[in-house]
Amino acid sequence: MNLKYTLPDREAETLRPFLKSEAIVYCVPCDMTREGEGDAAGWTVVTKRHLFLLMDGLLADTVALEETDEILCSPQVNCGLLLAKAGGEERLLCRFSMRHLVRQSYAARGATLFCRQVDREVQSSERERHCPTCGRALPGTNQCSRCAGRGRTLRRLWDLCSRYAAPLLLITVFMAGISALSMGQQSVIRDFIDQVLVPASGTAKQLGGFLLVMLIILAVQITLHVGKTLWSNSLGTRIAKDLRERVFAKISELSMTFLNSRETGELMNRVVEDSARIREFMEEVFANMFTQIFIMAGALIMMMVIDWRLALLTLAFAPLALLLVRLFRKKERRLWRQQWRMNDKVNGRLEDVIAGIRVVKSFGQEQRETERFQEYTERQTDIQRRNETFWATLYPFVTFIITSGTLFVLYFGGLNVLNETMTPGQLVQFMAYANMVYMPLQYLSRLPRMLMRVSTALERIYDVLDEQADITDAPGSVEHEITGDIVFDDVTFGYHSYEPVLEHIDLHIQPGEMIGLVGASGTGKSTMINLLMRLYDADDGHILIDGIPIDTLERDCLHGQIGVVLQETFLFSGTVFDNIRFAKPDAKAEEVIRAAKMANAHEFIVKFPDGYDTYVGEKGYTLSGGERQRIAIARAILHNPRLLILDEATSSLDTETEYQIQQAMNRLTKGRTTIAIAHRLSTLREADRIVVLDRHHIAEVGTHNELMRFKGLYYGLVMAQLEMHKVRGEKENRAART
Amino acid sequence: MEHNDILEQEKQAVEQLIAIRPITADNAVFRRTGGGFVGMDYTAPDGEVKSFTRVSVHRCFPFSDPGRYISIREPEGDGKEIGLIEELGALPRETQEMLEEQMALRYFIPQISRIKSIKEEYGYSYWDVTTDRGVCRFTVRMGGGSVYSIGGGRYLINDIDGNRFEIPDLNKLSSREIRELDLFI
Repeated sequence: MNLKYTLPDREAETLRPFLKSEAIVYCVPCDMTREGEGDAAGWTVVTKRHLFLLMDGLLADTVALEETDEILCSPQVNCGLLLAKAGGEERLLCRFSMRHLVRQSYAARGATLFCRQVDREVQSSERERHCPTCGRALPGTNQCSRCAGRGRTLRRLWDLCSRYAAPLLLITVFMAGISALSMGQQSVIRDFIDQVLVPASGTAKQLGGFLLVMLIILAVQITLHVGKTLWSNSLGTRIAKDLRERVFAKISELSMTFLNSRETGELMNRVVEDSARIREFMEEVFANMFTQIFIMAGALIMMMVIDWRLALLTLAFAPLALLLVRLFRKKERRLWRQQWRMNDKVNGRLEDVIAGIRVVKSFGQEQRETERFQEYTERQTDIQRRNETFWATLYPFVTFIITSGTLFVLYFGGLNVLNETMTPGQLVQFMAYANMVYMPLQYLSRLPRMLMRVSTALERIYDVLDEQADITDAPGSVEHEITGDIVFDDVTFGYHSYEPVLEHIDLHIQPGEMIGLVGASGTGKSTMINLLMRLYDADDGHILIDGIPIDTLERDCLHGQIGVVLQETFLFSGTVFDNIRFAKPDAKAEEVIRAAKMANAHEFIVKFPDGYDTYVGEKGYTLSGGERQRIAIARAILHNPRLLILDEATSSLDTETEYQIQQAMNRLTKGRTTIAIAHRLSTLREADRIVVLDRHHIAEVGTHNELMRFKGLYYGLVMAQLEMHKVRGEKENRAART
Repeated sequence: MEHNDILEQEKQAVEQLIAIRPITADNAVFRRTGGGFVGMDYTAPDGEVKSFTRVSVHRCFPFSDPGRYISIREPEGDGKEIGLIEELGALPRETQEMLEEQMALRYFIPQISRIKSIKEEYGYSYWDVTTDRGVCRFTVRMGGGSVYSIGGGRYLINDIDGNRFEIPDLNKLSSREIRELDLFI
């Protein structure tokens, strides 16, 4: 997103005397007055020392950043506020609509860094939602397919097609063949009329001869057609497959920051739907439409050859027909859209009620829901009936108009035949060509839309393909055998620039130490781990492993030495054996069994009918939470990492299973630097030190005993959990007694 | 016994959470802050006086009943509710004005009075309208969900930036305008 707008001349002029020698770091628009008048011409300008607010060309406010604690962007309901915080008091600076909220929040964060004397610029990876040039919506891409020019899209299409030159050429030959045959067929009919029918001197033998020729033409035409369809379908499928693979490969290579800035569904769409659109285009549009265009072109040429005046006369009517078809299409689309929306509503209603049938029934609302549903379907029927009527009358009408165009030709051509400047056969031939020009018009009016669809799809696909991976190995990255000394040095990070999740984290973890991370949800526990795994880069500060900054370690080398056990154990579709071997695909059976034994998993695995060959994952054998967890631990043990991360690894288990897993875990953590996140504090019994996070900061650090004596947050958490257990225990006892 | 203390605290916290604490002219004094916001001195039911340098003002029913059930809250993200104003009109005139100002800052939903044009192009529609906050141009994604009814002829429109616009009464629009909206409602 653009954080450095250029100020208009008027504003730049106003600001110049105040800027002195300061350079503008951020400049973002502010489109509202404080009173909420939209369409205001305001600007927020940030230099390293000041924040200036301009409103309607005048300087409205100045904030000296040195004297300010923080610049805040506070999201409201469908708008946002910019505040300056100094000495505990907040001051309202300006107000803006959602269009600029993200931008303003980046600028606010940037300004806050300057308040704290941190000389660093923030950058935004988020996308613009509107094309800066033409104002059109951007469908999740960097470039507007309009403004980038058709040329660019065509180039991309060309770039894509040039990989498939041979099949494309073949398809084109097929299309040209079909077109030529359609033309030729008409010449044969002409001769048939002029030489056999009209002179009335033809013989049955001649008749048979013509029949044979027509038959052959038909056969060849159909063969070409089948060939064209087969080839273009296989080409479409191939292109789609290649694109899917390229996009997929790129997505898995890109950083979490990129992935987080897109919705999962949207990325899946790019892999699945956009490539399918391109396939569709290849199969339907490319093959059929272009054949039509070939035929049209051929017909035009032939018409010109036969009688150019008559040809021009025929064409004179074409623009009118085209206009009519377009109008008709527009109306048609509108009606379709209405019908779809109504269908959607009815389906949505149905889904709601059926999914929530238990609620509906238990509150005795069947009657009301039935009535509501009836109302919807009645409206749907109304719309459908109306649309059917429309189509039933309008379609024939349009066909009539278009056909009547060719009737003119019949009249003038008929005159020519009477004047004997044209033979009857030629007239029939000419008429056939005229039809070939007019009939596809309806179809071709869809072409611009189809092209736009495919260019959007291409744009979205190339948007991913062109993306640069932002977490890459810097030149001179080192491989390093980790011993396990970890330092968080003043680390600050947020997934969105406007909400830091971690602030000024300082922590030194000794090699072999086990650290328990504790805190309410949303305090940044998992985030610390994400940073350590370098799924994200810290906004500020450094993370050092054995004294080496994490961003100079080779990524593969880093990930190869970190083992992770998560709360939600993800098992891939495959056998238990494959799942344990995931991180070390060449592990031998014996190693796998040893790892499984250490994880207390061997026993239950062997009890499965299929043992280690049991198929798990989606549609596979269903494992219990504890079993999955132990497989994940076996995976981590086999991986033999230098750093071990346990993120809520045992929280979904019952106490007994947890005990078993705890044992497995103790074996795993021995002698390794381990970071464990847990809600259930009993899991952290073995931890050397406990780190308590609260509101994005480290609140307490110490051993269990130290923190218990300290009687702070940790003490409160432990006590609350003890109480819960006690209350639950008492209840169970009472229940058992009665 | 410490254990019981904590349990007791938890219980109290829950009580605090479910209690409805009315804010009236008798137990609260609002004042403007230098920064453009509103602060409050509040006398809790137990007699304790609390002073807040800034409070947030939220409507419970922003659409159906904007003048009643106003929630006065501690500012910032996870701010707790301090109390609830049942009837804004029952407060002194000056206080009403102050709170209205704060709510005007918080809520931004321009009301559409005239639709100049709606152009549709490749999956998006581009609206050109006149609202009570001036002329507005915005972009709406085609397909379901962007325009929806909240009853009584009132419609809300979401644009692609996350702004919302309201049509206060569909029936007051001209037939041309309604035809433009045909695709959405």
